[in-house]
Amino acid sequence: MNFVLIGVNHKSAPLAVRERLAISPARLQEATQSLLGVPCVREGMVLSTCNRVEFLTYQEPVQADLLEFIQNYFAVDMTALRPYLYEYRASEAIRHLFRVAASLDSLVVGEPQILGQVKESYTVARSVGAVNSNLEPLLQRSFTVARKVRNQTSIGVSAVSIASVAVDLARKIFGSLQGKTVLLVGAGKMGELAARSLAQQGASTIYLCNRTDERAEALAQKFSGQLAGNGPSLAQPVPYASLHEYAAMADIIVTSTGAETPIFNSTHAHAYAARRKQRPMFFIDIAVPRDVDPEINRVEGIFVYNIDDLQAVAVSNMANRAKEALDAEAIIRAEVHRYTERMQTLDAVPSIVALQQNLEEVRQNELRRVAPRLAGLSSEQLQAVEQVTRALVNKLQHAPIQAIKRAAREGDRETLAVIQTVLDMGSGPGLSENATAQPAQPGPVAQTSGATETTASIPFAPVKVDCPQ
Amino acid sequence: MAMYLIWLRVALVLYGASSVAVIPDVLSGQVRWRKLVFPACVSAVFFNFVALMEMLNLANHWVPASLREVETSLALLLALAFLIIYWRYRAISLGLFVLPIVFLLLLLPAARPDHAPLSSQWMHNGWILLHIVLLLAAYTALILSLLASLLYLIQERRLKQKQVGGVFGHLPPLETMDQIAFKTLVIGFPCMTAGLLAGAWIAQETVGAGYFLDPKVLLSVGMWLLYLWMLYVRRHSGLRGKRAVYLSSLVFLVALTVWVANQFSAVHRFAAP
Repeated sequence: MNFVLIGVNHKSAPLAVRERLAISPARLQEATQSLLGVPCVREGMVLSTCNRVEFLTYQEPVQADLLEFIQNYFAVDMTALRPYLYEYRASEAIRHLFRVAASLDSLVVGEPQILGQVKESYTVARSVGAVNSNLEPLLQRSFTVARKVRNQTSIGVSAVSIASVAVDLARKIFGSLQGKTVLLVGAGKMGELAARSLAQQGASTIYLCNRTDERAEALAQKFSGQLAGNGPSLAQPVPYASLHEYAAMADIIVTSTGAETPIFNSTHAHAYAARRKQRPMFFIDIAVPRDVDPEINRVEGIFVYNIDDLQAVAVSNMANRAKEALDAEAIIRAEVHRYTERMQTLDAVPSIVALQQNLEEVRQNELRRVAPRLAGLSSEQLQAVEQVTRALVNKLQHAPIQAIKRAAREGDRETLAVIQTVLDMGSGPGLSENATAQPAQPGPVAQTSGATETTASIPFAPVKVDCPQ
Repeated sequence: MAMYLIWLRVALVLYGASSVAVIPDVLSGQVRWRKLVFPACVSAVFFNFVALMEMLNLANHWVPASLREVETSLALLLALAFLIIYWRYRAISLGLFVLPIVFLLLLLPAARPDHAPLSSQWMHNGWILLHIVLLLAAYTALILSLLASLLYLIQERRLKQKQVGGVFGHLPPLETMDQIAFKTLVIGFPCMTAGLLAGAWIAQETVGAGYFLDPKVLLSVGMWLLYLWMLYVRRHSGLRGKRAVYLSSLVFLVALTVWVANQFSAVHRFAAP
């Protein structure tokens, strides 16, 4: 498992450093090709987002000098950069990749974009032939693990931004927002953002009301620009004088004016409720000082959330995500263990093949040796001899094969070495360069995995070896 | 032991499993439990139906008239209605109340058989069958409407108090609950009207005009008027929340009283004299 991952992220490096290393989507292909050009890097993938720049590689036969690559590719002073870099190898690299894909390493834990970004990097790397038999199964597994985390925990369920909390709350009241009417009062940025989110979720009509008619009209034009896309079917400026008339028609009112006193009070609310036959109504009050008298929340069917309420929900949802992240970490741990175990079993394949070939060769030699004495046997009798010897070999090799598999699974290099010595596999055809059966993970356990099975954060001391290209 | 008892017990166990599995799903949003809730509930409905058919067949009539038969029928109708509502609105939260109610309803019928089977000429009468089935459907609608109104109230209070996560954090939206509460009432009303008319026709045929003074009949008329009034109020003033729960509870209590009033009714007798 010669996986090595090196990079910086929002936790290890400040924005200035990340900016310096950022790779635009247009340059991703070229960067991946350059990475592949590093001696000993057999496969590679570059992940560059606003929060991280990472290089995932599969290296063989010895460790590649990725630091030199970073220094040359970005033309940076490595002394300054080195404190911000992290490096993971083998199972720790797998763990890190799974955590990144499952959004456990994100700035906002549980955000869904990162999986798409990993997939984009994978697509680019695959297109340039940088993802093959080693990274392909690992990356596919990381996508599956990310989906598993999302399905089995609620890590991405709750909203954590003010606009998305507002949309979530509206959904708890109205269910679908299809066909709902929104009244946006004032021209605050956050109010506009919330109204836009509501429109994106299906609100069909947006009334825009402002003390200055021109601003309402300008906003209406902005919203109308979305009509062809994922926006409201009607964005209409309304005069401030008709505010309460339109308010009664609105299911959701987003307000963010600079008024010194509330513009909506209980008397208004009772009038709206009666006119709407108690149909629910949702006030999102983002203004400071508040535009909506908090007493309105007492009116049946009317719900008022101010900026503090929305923030409290966002914070509480963040805390929930943190709790869910614990379950997600457990899933990741189990998945890393499963994947590592599988890879180690694959590492044992060459030894098993060598053992089988050795024993088969012995059987064939013995049969050839006694062939003259078996000349008098009938074809049925010869077939019986063939079957008996084959069965004997199978039975003899069963226990060692199980022992090899168990030792590989448990990462027990010493036992593997002893088995190999006892069975004299080192000189067998299976271990030779000319072995006919090629395993999925080339290289005998004692040589490849044993050398790389150390875990995280090994100091940067790459072994300089001339690698065949 | 009669076969229907075995099927009823199987249904009981499955309803029980469903009732337990629905708790983490509704209260803490652990959706994976849904994989147990629905297969168990659908299987339970199947066994419940088979048991009811065998029970009636064994009793040699098709009218669910004894307490155990009525309970088995009501359980079946409630579970079916829950599945239909889930299919239409994805409102699994109702299961938190409906499934345990169904489980409790089946406890007695699954425990032991009727000792004194009813025998009456009316047990084979189609009007009686219509009368009972329609009224059971109306009761089912009333129960579901009351439960949906209760969930509406819980969700409304939580939103008013700015409690968004935690237990009950995965209740359906208010409008969904309101629609379920209102539509079940609308569906239940014609059932109740037709069921009562069928009963009135039978009573007229057997007892004559005097049936109208029977306490059960008078209470039934009162229940029907109250139901009508509730529908009118909900439609015209958009009654929701607390007051909707009070009104639904009142109608449900009257409906229970009507059921209990069998004890005082001379008209409503199935057993042969």
